[in-house]
Order: sequence, then C-alpha cells, then structure tokens
Amino acid sequence: MSALRGYWLNVWIQFKKNRLALGGLAVVGVLFFVAVFAPLIANDRPYVYVSESRAYFPIFFNYPELGDIDLRSEKIKGFKLFPPIAYSYSEYDLDSIVLPPSGAHWLGTDEQGRDLAARMIHGTRVSIMVGFIAVFIYVSIGIAVGAMAGYYGGMVDMIVSRIIEIVICFPTFFLILTMLALVGPSLVNVMVVIGITGWTGIARIVRGEFLKLREMEYVQASRSLGVRDAVIIFRHMLPNSLAPVLVSATFGIASTILIESSLSFLGFGVQPPTPSWGDILSQSRDFMDFAWWLTLIPGFFIFITITAYNLVGEGFQDAINPRAFRSKR
Amino acid sequence: MSRYLIKRLLLIIPTFLGISLITYSMVRLAPGDYTSLRATGGGELKTTAAAKQAMEEERKLYGLDRPIMFGYAEWLGKMLTLDFGISRKDGRPVSARIAESLPITLALNVISMVLVYIISIPAGILSALWKDSLYDRASSVVLFILYSLPSFWVGLLLLLLLSGGEFLNIFPLGGIVSDVPGPVPWWRLAGDVIWHLVLPVVTLTYGGFAFLARYMRANLLEVISQQYITTARAKGLGVRRVLFIHAFRNSLVPLVTLMASILPGLLGGSVIIESIFSVPGMGLLAYEAILSRDIPVIMAIASISAVLTLVGILVADVMYSVVDPRIRLEAKV
Repeated sequence: MSALRGYWLNVWIQFKKNRLALGGLAVVGVLFFVAVFAPLIANDRPYVYVSESRAYFPIFFNYPELGDIDLRSEKIKGFKLFPPIAYSYSEYDLDSIVLPPSGAHWLGTDEQGRDLAARMIHGTRVSIMVGFIAVFIYVSIGIAVGAMAGYYGGMVDMIVSRIIEIVICFPTFFLILTMLALVGPSLVNVMVVIGITGWTGIARIVRGEFLKLREMEYVQASRSLGVRDAVIIFRHMLPNSLAPVLVSATFGIASTILIESSLSFLGFGVQPPTPSWGDILSQSRDFMDFAWWLTLIPGFFIFITITAYNLVGEGFQDAINPRAFRSKR
Repeated sequence: MSRYLIKRLLLIIPTFLGISLITYSMVRLAPGDYTSLRATGGGELKTTAAAKQAMEEERKLYGLDRPIMFGYAEWLGKMLTLDFGISRKDGRPVSARIAESLPITLALNVISMVLVYIISIPAGILSALWKDSLYDRASSVVLFILYSLPSFWVGLLLLLLLSGGEFLNIFPLGGIVSDVPGPVPWWRLAGDVIWHLVLPVVTLTYGGFAFLARYMRANLLEVISQQYITTARAKGLGVRRVLFIHAFRNSLVPLVTLMASILPGLLGGSVIIESIFSVPGMGLLAYEAILSRDIPVIMAIASISAVLTLVGILVADVMYSVVDPRIRLEAKV
C-alpha cells in the first residue's frame, strides 16, 4: 500500500509543476465552494437582522413572527447584514425585467425580472451534481464491465466487447434525448440516463489494463494462493489500473456538464424553477437581439467550467504519463 | 484482404441485431402503453375515428400486443423494407419525411468533416514542425479554447453578432434558402444556400477541428520520437524530408479511425445546431419529433443514425486495414 501512496504522491508532485492545471483545479475548487454555499451567497434574506428587541438569523432559521416581510426594504430599521447578492434565484420582479448589468443587479435580470447572478450561482449546483453523480454511475458500470471482460477474457470478453461496440454505435446524445423523451425529463433522470449511456470508454480502458495486469506475477501468485476473484480484482488489480480511469473520468465530468447544459438548452434537462445554466441560456433566445448579457454570461460560465475540468484532466494525464509530459515541454 | 473483409462484414450482423433490439425495446419498455401518450397537441384528435385507426396501426407496427420476440422480428422486417409507419404530426409516411431531411444533414456533416480534415492536418503539422515556437504556443491556446467552447453558445453568439440584432447583419437568421417568389437562376440559388449554410457549418466544424488538430500534433510528435526517425535523420536526410516522407504518412493512420468516432457525435450535434439555425435536417426533425412525442419518427431516426454510424465504423476499419497491414494480418491468425 505504501508503494501505491508513493505513486499518487509522485503524480501530485508532477501535477503541481503544471500551472495551467493548478489554475483549473482552483476554478473547480471555487465552483465547489459556490455550489455548496449557494444559499449563503445569493439569498433574499439577511444573515443577521437586529431589531430593537432582539437579533434574528433569517437565512439560517425561520421566524414566524417576521412573516413574509421583505427585510431589504428601507422602511425596516435596524442592523442588517445581507449576502453579497441579495436576491433569491426564484424571486421575480416584473418592474425590472431584462435589465442590463448594473449596481443593483450585477449580471442583469431575465425576462421575469429574476436576478441573473443569483440564478447563475444556484445553477452551479445542478452542473456539479450532474457532473459528479452521472460520472460516478458510469465509472462504476465501466469498471465492473471492463474488469469482468479483462480478467476472465475468452467468451466473456467476446460478449462484452460486442456489447460495447453496439452501445458505441448509438449516437449518445440522441439516445439520451430519446430516453428522456420516454421517461420524462428531470434532474435524476438526466443523471441516470447519462450514467447508463456513458460507460463504454471507461470499460474499454479497464479491460485493456486488466488484460495487461492479469499476466503479472503478483496476480498469478494471488491466483495460485487461492485468493477469491473479487479480492484479486478489487483489491489487487483495480488500484493499479485506476490512474487512467480517473483521467478519463475528469474529462468525463467536463463532457457531462456540456451534455447536461445542452439538454437543458433544448428543454430536456432540469425543469424550472430549478435554475440550470443551459436553461438560462435557452431563455435568452427570445431576447437575443438586445439582451446580450443573457446570452454571454451563462455560456461563459459553462465554457469556463468545461475548460477548468479539461485543464485538470490534461495536467493529470501528463502527471501519470511522464514520457508524454517530457515530450510536451 | 478479402478474408478480413468477410470476417469484418459478418461481425456487423450481431452488432446490427443488438442495435435494433435496443431500439425496439425502448418502445416496449416505455412507461405505460405509449400509444396512449398521444401527442399533447392532438388532444381533440384522440376521439376521432381516423386517430383511433392511426393508433391501431402504430400498435401493429411495433407488435405491441404480441410477445416481444415476435413483435421484434416483425418490426425488424418492416425496418429492412424502410416501412417506418406514419408520422403522428402530419400523417405522412415517416420514410418520406426522412428522405427530405437526411440529405441536408448529410451534406452539412460531410462539408464540415471535409473542412475539419483540410484545416486540422496542416495546422497540426505546422505546430509539430515548429514545436514550442510562438505559432505553436498561440495555436495550442486557441485550439484548447475552441475545444472547450459549447457549440450551442457559439451558435447563439454568431447569430447575436452577425445576424441582425444590435450588431452586424451579414448572415440570415436561419433556414437554408431565402423566401424569394418566382424562379431564381441556379447559381443564385446555390449562392443563397451557401450563404445560409456558413454559420451552421462553422458551428459544426470548429469543435472537431480543435480536437483533430491537437490530436494531429500530439500524434506527429509521438511518431517523431520513434527510432526509425532518428535513423533517418542520422543517415543525413533533411528535417523536412524526414517529416513529410517518413513521419507524416505514419501519423495519418489513427486519423482514419478517428473519423468513425467523430461520426456519432456529428449526428448528435446536428440536433442542437439545426434547432438553433432552423435547418430542416434530421436533427431538427428529431428534435421536433421528441418534443411532440412522435414515436414513429424518433424510432426511425434512432435506427437510421445507428446504422449510418455502423457503416462509418466499418468503412474506417476497412480503411485502417488498408493503411496498416498489421491489422488484417493479426485477424488472420
């Protein structure tokens, strides 16, 4: 195990040399932070409100006595500390529809007068959730299928390879659209459908690694000692074939986020009122001739996110494959 | 060679059966009796006798009242004779609607594919030739950005900037031909169609271009690091000669197979691009069919595009065996 830890330490040392990849990792970190703390960054309720009699923490607790009053109103006196963006993602205001970015609305407003910044921040949650959960699903399927094919070989391998070939032939994006049309679009369905259609790449990688590894002496030794197949596969072989899988998964997150936003863009993704970047971009089509911010901003967020994951993936790839790394420099 | 070809062709049969079985089971496994999920817009149609008959015909087409294997076999027979049933939307045969839209999508994709190869091969070679030069660095950055740009965003931005709105008004907003009354000379018509296709083709092309040029560069650099290149240099051949005669041809080999992997993506991408630019191709047809739950159309497109992809992979495999004899020699053993 310690040799393995040394391996990952080495990978990290190599990774750290690549500034672009570190930048990408930082962006991913920021996005994670934003996703986790979205309600604390964009909310119409203050963190703290001190009236004459007592202190309230409306963002964290519900106070029946405060009712529905809007604490942002000037009429309400007392100490108030609001989040940086004092709007919720679903709060509409028909007096301020399709406004360009300004001091009040940093990124402008949409056709229902909702604050774009608040919606973008909450949209981070959808993209990160779909990215990670869908990729987790298909990496699990890919590892199981690929390990089986590579470890047992022969007939099993033949059948699995044929199944992979069949699944690859389907235009994935169209398959996903069709399945969503039949089961109905929702956040969970999007994740599951991307998960069950995306596993072929991982399965091929794992199969290839396992075909190589099963001839290694340590695997032969484990076998002759009578170790169970499951133990050999998961405890001995898998850790040694994980690096390329994780690289592929990193790129997979980027493309999954792209697929999710494309689906939402076409109206088959996450359903309103849950904000999703693709959906926000698609709403902008009706106002495209003047509301440039509604087109520019969501697309830019998607682009930056995808770029960040791709940079991390590239850095990771170079780090586990020092030969390619050297030739690149 | 012929032995390899026959083996490869025979392998297509199980793959084709698998694809069609998955496609068929999508209708069978759809929640509820899908024929009751009649197009949302056609609520009033449901009661009419004509609609009832159409529904009955659809049930027959997919053999929904039969055991799955029989239903599948019968459906497969109809697919092979290009009988895809009747579109729910306008009551026309699905095959007619596809015959109208398939050429448009194929033309778009072929143009874009040719452009991808024409631009990216020289771009990749120059990058590898002038490795670490200013050009190489700049093009690496540009390609990486292009590679990560979401196509639907680029499409919208192009429309925003170049088709009316507050900025330039150079290209048409959508469609593939202008609405001009009366006969138009063919060269004007051709020019008009090309004008309409510029933005969709650009949107469809840049991603594949970025991918392929990066790949070409990495691949050529990999070939250059091989020992036979060192040998060629050591015996006194010039850099250019070694690069173009020895390295270039060998670096082309993987590009052939890449064509097969780009193909399914292009068809999927057509859905987005055709719906942005209102190009009346397969992508838009698919999109509208999915929106209105026009199942016969969806099923037909799923089958056809899978078969097209299968053919693409087959062609790539055969070409691969032509350029790399090791492949077919291995298959013989």
